[in-house]
Amino acid sequence: MHRKNRQKILIVDDNKMNREFLIDMLENEFDIMEASDGFQAIQILRDYGTAIDLMLLDIIMPEVDGFEVLAMMNENYLINDIPVIMISAENDDSCIERAYEMGVTDYISRPFNVAVVRRRVTNTLALHAKHKKLISIIAEQVYEKEKNNNMMVHILSHIVEFRNGESGMHVLNIFSITNLLLKKLIEKTNKYNLTQKDISLITIASALHDIGKISIPSAILNKPGRFTPEEFEIMKTHTTIGASLLEDIPIYNDDPLVKVAREICRWHHERFDGRGYPDGLKGDEIPVSAQIVAVADVYDALTSERCYKKAFSHEQAFQMIINGECGKFSPLLMECLAECHNDIINKLQIHSNEHMQEIQLQNIVDELIQCDETNDLISPIKQIDREREKSRFFAKHAQELQFDYDCRTSVVIVSEWGANLIGSNRTVLNIGGKDKCIMCNSDLQDFRNILDKADINNPDVESNIILDTVDGRMSGKIIAHTMWENNTPKYTGVIGKVSGLIKISETKGE
Amino acid sequence: MTLKECYSIIGDYNDVMKRLPRETMVIKFIFRFLDDKSYSQLITALETDDYKSAFMAAHTIKGLCQNLSFTRLYESSHLLTEALRSETPDKSLINALAEQVGEDYKTTVNTINTFKAEQ
Repeated sequence: MHRKNRQKILIVDDNKMNREFLIDMLENEFDIMEASDGFQAIQILRDYGTAIDLMLLDIIMPEVDGFEVLAMMNENYLINDIPVIMISAENDDSCIERAYEMGVTDYISRPFNVAVVRRRVTNTLALHAKHKKLISIIAEQVYEKEKNNNMMVHILSHIVEFRNGESGMHVLNIFSITNLLLKKLIEKTNKYNLTQKDISLITIASALHDIGKISIPSAILNKPGRFTPEEFEIMKTHTTIGASLLEDIPIYNDDPLVKVAREICRWHHERFDGRGYPDGLKGDEIPVSAQIVAVADVYDALTSERCYKKAFSHEQAFQMIINGECGKFSPLLMECLAECHNDIINKLQIHSNEHMQEIQLQNIVDELIQCDETNDLISPIKQIDREREKSRFFAKHAQELQFDYDCRTSVVIVSEWGANLIGSNRTVLNIGGKDKCIMCNSDLQDFRNILDKADINNPDVESNIILDTVDGRMSGKIIAHTMWENNTPKYTGVIGKVSGLIKISETKGE
Repeated sequence: MTLKECYSIIGDYNDVMKRLPRETMVIKFIFRFLDDKSYSQLITALETDDYKSAFMAAHTIKGLCQNLSFTRLYESSHLLTEALRSETPDKSLINALAEQVGEDYKTTVNTINTFKAEQ
């Protein structure tokens, strides 16, 4: 097998000679990593994760022993992904049993028989490779399916908003607020028997709350002033129209998502005291999904600018809702709102697509955690999640502009810090475009030339550049890494960062 | 001295050849055994009555002996390991067992050295 594709085995034993024994037996076929104690093993596991295909683990070691390594792997679900073969001179049954209970796949006791050790290692690897492949296929499909679902829902709701002249942020905000309120609600009570799956459904379905507006004449929809009573009556029909649109779908009529969406469409303007529309439902006659989206809708309407009003501050909006100025809501939901108000403010400030994907991802993760049979799926997704959180944290605290460029979409996503620096959104379309070019043209061309010299074996490049920032012109160093996929003649993406930025006293413009 | 003759003093030639594929591998590792630090760690630990570390070291020696079929040193290091594992270690027993381990260790190492000198 080509050296690059060899499987990686981590050997953990405090005694060098014991490690050498195993290395001698296995190094012809496998890449070997060594750890001389449990602590080192844990660090390697953290750094490499599932890049390790198998671990051979000694039990008796000073400081952190084999059982502690297993305990850590159980906590992180790594035990599901990395097969472990225990190796020890300990032959007492309780020890072996404990190791099995903690998830080891096999147990080899000393003295070693070389042929047996090799065979057990290859068998374990073969079995796990198959297992791993199946899991990744399923995880990918689950994720793809969710992603496509969500994408369709969002396309649809954006169409409605587009016509509405509202900012594209409304759906996103409703989405975030609904999600936070739901999470708070199940934290406080199980009165409504909401599962993680329900939370996912309601959150996604919230995006459809206004689809009925598609049949409201634009003249009314986008009227800057007050509605006449007649106009208001027409406007109100968006609730029933939305619900019947979903009612009339010939298929998927009974799908849980469609059902929830129908409730939300019809009843997101109902109020707890029965003074809402269209049906004047009272209290918990209004489905909890619609109650929550109602609060989210009002909150976002208040804090956003519309053609007929200015935006209120978060604090004002909160007070107005609590005081019943926008109609009466369930006292329980008002408690939830009060308790997660700070979270809402934080979330709404992030305002990015990435953020929405994160909520979805988090929901999928939560849903899977609840469902024991799919326990194996958690760790790959959890790892993606953990990685995202990690990179977000580092990006936030690094005093540098980090970017991620995808050639296929020509979209550049920059770190929050970077976006603030250049005074733009986190997503910059078309880096060299006319409307927004943060690099001066000659630098951009230079940088492109440098990038073109990179190849799959030497993917990293660097260069000096000058940036237009909100504080004027700055010079710095750009380091970038080109990403390659199999058999593509050109890189498919570039990630990198601009650091060491120093202000230069040059006047703007060329 | 052949490897077989060497093993007639320190352990079980047939057993080690059953498990390890070639004499060259056995020879490579019995030479490595000469450099292994576990025995000196054992002595240091026992001198300071550090029974926890002594247990680790004795346990390692025992494991190496198993892998190399050093039957002689295995017996004594095994007994010492078990004595050190005890919650209430018996100092005089440990000393006696440690003395035996020392003797067997020296025999083993000296024999390997003699064998090595003739290679």
